[in-house]
Amino acid sequence: MDEYDELFETEDDFDDQFADELEAMAEIEEESSKPEKRQKQNQGDDISDIEHLLDNPLTTPKAKRQKHDAGVSKRLFNTVQTQDSKAPSEKDDITPPSSPEQFELSRKIRSTPSVLDISGFASILDSPRRPPAAPASLHVLKRPPIEGEYISVTDSSGSRVYLKQTEDTGTKVVDTRLVPDYQGSLGLLAVPISALRDQELERRHLQVVEESQRLSDLLASSVNEVLVEEEEEEDGDPDDAEGRTSRLWVDRFSPRQYTQLLSDDFTNRCLLKWLKLWDTVVFGRERKIRPVRSEKQAPNENSFKPNQPNQNQIRFKTKIEMTEEILEAELDHHKRPKFKVALLSGPPGLGKTTLAHVIAKHAGYNVVEINASDDRSAEVFQKRIDTATQMKSVLGSNEKPNCLIIDEIDGAPSAAINILLATLNRKDGHGGDAGAETVKKKKKKETILLRPIICICNDLYAPALRPLRQQAFLLVFPQTQPSRLAQRLSEISLKQGIKTDTGTLLSLCEKTDNDIRSCINTLQFLHGRGHKRVDTKTIQCVSVGQKDQNKGLFHLWQGIFQLPRPKRKRIGEGFDEASSSGGGAQRFQHILNLAYSSGEYEKVSQGLYDNYLSMRVRDPNMQCVCEALEWLSFSDRLNQVILHGQNFTLMRYLPFLSVTFHFLFANTHVPRISYPHSQHEASTRLLSNKNALSTMLAEVPPCIRTRISQLSLSLDILTLLLDIICPKLRPVNPQLFSSREKEQMHELINTMLAYNLSYRQDRTPEGQYTYMLEPRVEEVVRFPGLPPRRQLTYQAKQTISREMEQEKMRRAEQLILQRNPVVHKAVEKKMAGPNPIRNHQQRLENIVKQTTVEIRPEVDFFGRVLAPKPQRPRPTSDTGEKCASVCMGKAVGDSDVWFRFNEGMSNAVRRNVYIRELL
Amino acid sequence: MSLWVDKYRPTSLGKLDYHKTQATQLKNLVQCGDFPHLLVYGPSGAGKKTRIMCLLRELYGAGVEKLRIEHQTIVAPSKKKIEINTIASNYHLEVNPSDAGNQDRVVIQELIKTVAQSQQIQSSTQREFKVVLLTEVDRLTKDAQHALRRTMEKYMSTCRLILCSTSTSKVIGPIRSRCLAIRVPLPSTEEVCNVLTSICKKEGLLLPPELAKNISEKSGRNLRKALLMCEACRVQQYPFSADQDVPETDWEVYLRETANAIVSQQSPQRLLEVRARLYELLTHCIPPDIIMKGLVTELLSNCDGQLKTEVAQMAAYYEHRLQLGNKAIYHLEAFTAKFMAIYKKFMEDGLDAMMF
Repeated sequence: MDEYDELFETEDDFDDQFADELEAMAEIEEESSKPEKRQKQNQGDDISDIEHLLDNPLTTPKAKRQKHDAGVSKRLFNTVQTQDSKAPSEKDDITPPSSPEQFELSRKIRSTPSVLDISGFASILDSPRRPPAAPASLHVLKRPPIEGEYISVTDSSGSRVYLKQTEDTGTKVVDTRLVPDYQGSLGLLAVPISALRDQELERRHLQVVEESQRLSDLLASSVNEVLVEEEEEEDGDPDDAEGRTSRLWVDRFSPRQYTQLLSDDFTNRCLLKWLKLWDTVVFGRERKIRPVRSEKQAPNENSFKPNQPNQNQIRFKTKIEMTEEILEAELDHHKRPKFKVALLSGPPGLGKTTLAHVIAKHAGYNVVEINASDDRSAEVFQKRIDTATQMKSVLGSNEKPNCLIIDEIDGAPSAAINILLATLNRKDGHGGDAGAETVKKKKKKETILLRPIICICNDLYAPALRPLRQQAFLLVFPQTQPSRLAQRLSEISLKQGIKTDTGTLLSLCEKTDNDIRSCINTLQFLHGRGHKRVDTKTIQCVSVGQKDQNKGLFHLWQGIFQLPRPKRKRIGEGFDEASSSGGGAQRFQHILNLAYSSGEYEKVSQGLYDNYLSMRVRDPNMQCVCEALEWLSFSDRLNQVILHGQNFTLMRYLPFLSVTFHFLFANTHVPRISYPHSQHEASTRLLSNKNALSTMLAEVPPCIRTRISQLSLSLDILTLLLDIICPKLRPVNPQLFSSREKEQMHELINTMLAYNLSYRQDRTPEGQYTYMLEPRVEEVVRFPGLPPRRQLTYQAKQTISREMEQEKMRRAEQLILQRNPVVHKAVEKKMAGPNPIRNHQQRLENIVKQTTVEIRPEVDFFGRVLAPKPQRPRPTSDTGEKCASVCMGKAVGDSDVWFRFNEGMSNAVRRNVYIRELL
Repeated sequence: MSLWVDKYRPTSLGKLDYHKTQATQLKNLVQCGDFPHLLVYGPSGAGKKTRIMCLLRELYGAGVEKLRIEHQTIVAPSKKKIEINTIASNYHLEVNPSDAGNQDRVVIQELIKTVAQSQQIQSSTQREFKVVLLTEVDRLTKDAQHALRRTMEKYMSTCRLILCSTSTSKVIGPIRSRCLAIRVPLPSTEEVCNVLTSICKKEGLLLPPELAKNISEKSGRNLRKALLMCEACRVQQYPFSADQDVPETDWEVYLRETANAIVSQQSPQRLLEVRARLYELLTHCIPPDIIMKGLVTELLSNCDGQLKTEVAQMAAYYEHRLQLGNKAIYHLEAFTAKFMAIYKKFMEDGLDAMMF
């Protein structure tokens, strides 16, 4: 400021000196200028209201002053006046297009007094604010005489430079005013009131127009006021200034060339190399210089490798990924790389998309991108893939082949991914014949994939990607190195005129987890908020940079159980930061944030519960454990209330559990955390046990069913029941049992049947046969670690099982007999009755009739008709038929046993036999 | 029907072995042919169900023993199908609504209402009302219980409810007030012994009185358990000897061992082991409140008088939380940890006192 004032004073001196020619004018207008100045200020106040809408009212003058400042300093340092004047003109080129000619004019006129250049400078700088419309042009015309005028005014105001503009109109008004002044008024005022009013109105209007222009300009220009050099550098984009400034910095500073990439070198190189592998197919075809590809390939590859990665390849060979990469380089099946798809994965903001684009461009491809914003339903996806991989732009001048980039593929429906896979595998089917392939290609619509496809995802392990994962060249993005990121950030902030230091930027990187996008956005945000200086504290306070990203449960659990390492804090630069991050409050906030962002409270508390006891915490009195369990039971009750009453506002209290656990159990050691499955396991087992019980209960006869419930079964009955059904049995044939033993056996079987238990033969994996109790209630009541109960021998079980089968059959029959005793009786009646015609008898009779009654010429062995027995079958006579049937009935139906010859089964002899007769 | 429990179950009120005054009271109650809603409660194995069935037989005659199992499907308003098994005779219907889990309200509303609404066909020959027997009422949700309130009053003319539960504490007041509460306490040790000896006599076995006493004590006077134990003893060894081993249920043994583990060492590691054991118990369909009860009983036997009150108070506290919450393991473990802490402190204090 001081410097500025000094400069300004000197300028005033100059003004004084060179205002001589216009002395008279100045003297006349000295009085008038003062009120005018006042008016101007008033207007400024009025306008400030408008200005408020966009910015605080002081910014305008400040900005102008700065420009002026710059102009002055330039003038001071540059010896050549013309250069000096040219520089601003260039600068003005950026700003509204209407102005240049006017300034050219004004500059010419102004250029005569060399010292006045400053003021001229100022006027140029200010002029863009002025609307290019009619009033403005009027204004501009007035300017040359004003120059002297303006000087004197600045003199009086002392500090404001732009007042000279008010002078411009002032002078003009002087002319107009002179007439009314003489005409009527008393002359108390230098200017008659009406004139002042007019003037005022006009000025106000002017100001409003000017302001509106300025506001729109401000939007555009405020950002790149200082960007002169930067714009020169950024010649790649022919956007005009306004378009550019509205863009995000992320886009503006995104790398355009391979060398500018921030991401990990190794990853970049791998991808580039993979892409280069396609050259044989893609560019070979295009140039038609590769009839023999395999020979060309080798030099081709060699020619690429030496470019960058060859030496590095040796260096990196230690890495495991290198093997993958080599493998991929070697196997060129069908003049294409083995993996047709590259799959980039990594957390957001590492520059995956940028990398893909840059590399594709670098390798000479035309990038076609499909991302989540596109419709990715199966058909559309298919069409887009086909278009991208098989067609080429005809109209466009670029002859480049396409490279398909499928962004955010983890969000794609699995149908779309299957289509992609089908596209990949399509060629494999046709892949056999290489020579005829081109011919085929023209004929068939389905062609092999000849263009590289790069897929990008955040979550490599999304279920939909599983099939793709196996066929893709996987590239996992490592974290961007904070040092590189910080360097880039410092470049950007330098260009944007933000003052920062490395520590700040590093802490910003740390805060955003090295997310490039997030870092730059945060910087831009701070810049937009008017921070010209960004230090660590601002970074700490700003709540923007943090990503709302969930980091996986293990990360969360680790965060909870592990104290933050003190080393990291020191890197984080400031002394105060180190102390604060160690402090309870910050840890509290940190863990709380983590827990909130994860969202899966249930799983989290599961993990905490499963792991907290294995933490190495000195807790001799178990106070911590008690406390922790208190919290767990609290959160359990909370959960219950939430679920029961649908009272989800209480959800916000759930994450505090994590915080408590952190303060209770956090340790400096790296915790070994296992995934919590105890609860799940328990519930599965509980379910299976319950199922066993309910299957058992389902078949229990109702009279017993009423007396037992699942609960009593598991608590009282089952264990003892299992004991009861294991009596001591002599290992002999049940036929040889004594009557007492038989009774015992009978009881046992009754019990087992009553409780729906049975033995089922099973084969163990070792090939032995065992009898298992079915349903498997043994597991329900037996506990590990207890002395084993007595088991029956295999023979005993076998015997029981057999006896049970018999008993079951007996019972089933009884049941049938019970259910339809009438039928049984009827049958018996029929048997006793005169005409006992049973089913089988009827059937037999029919058959017999058919065979015997039918007149069939009897033939002898040689097929000659035998004449002599026509009287034996008598089909016509009624009596004869009866007779035949009676005979047959006597022959066949009367006995209990009958058979039909050649019926095809060994059971051709049939008899009704009841189970009871057998057992 | 060969388990003694089933074989020798009394079927009429006159034949009941114990609580005979109550039996006669019940008989008198149904004598006039009508009775209020009943709420029968008492610990398991005391003979609630037996008594209820005897009552029904008294009411309807032998026809009530012809039972059948019916599979009913009820469609909840949410279109969810609920399948539930009911046991029914011509005169009564037995439902365990808590089989339907959270949807028990629907069961109450739909099933019982339809039964209650339908009139008996032959009202001239039979009673005018059906009986609906609801078991495990204490496991009903509050919603279901509230659904029951109105049903009880509304269909009084066609339907009587007999509610069966182990305790009344979880039955809401309105329902309790609508029912005649009948408590069936556990039989005394002598009564259990008597039942055991009489049954053994019927079986033609000789049961030494010491063994009978032993069994009745081991069974905790749970008659069902006592009979099963007795039969298991019989299978194990006959003729009986007075000091023969009485088989126990595995879970009790396991629980006792768990309690011993808690008492023998107090550390997070031990807590981890105990947790595994608690999980084991829970997965074997042992209800958490029973685990808690068993634990407390076992632990209390290891405590001094002063500590006992503290432990009991603590157990009550955690049991309450257990009922409120959902994840039993948290609360059981919380109780265990708290006990460990208290016990350890107590022991250390005692040690200090001994030292100085």
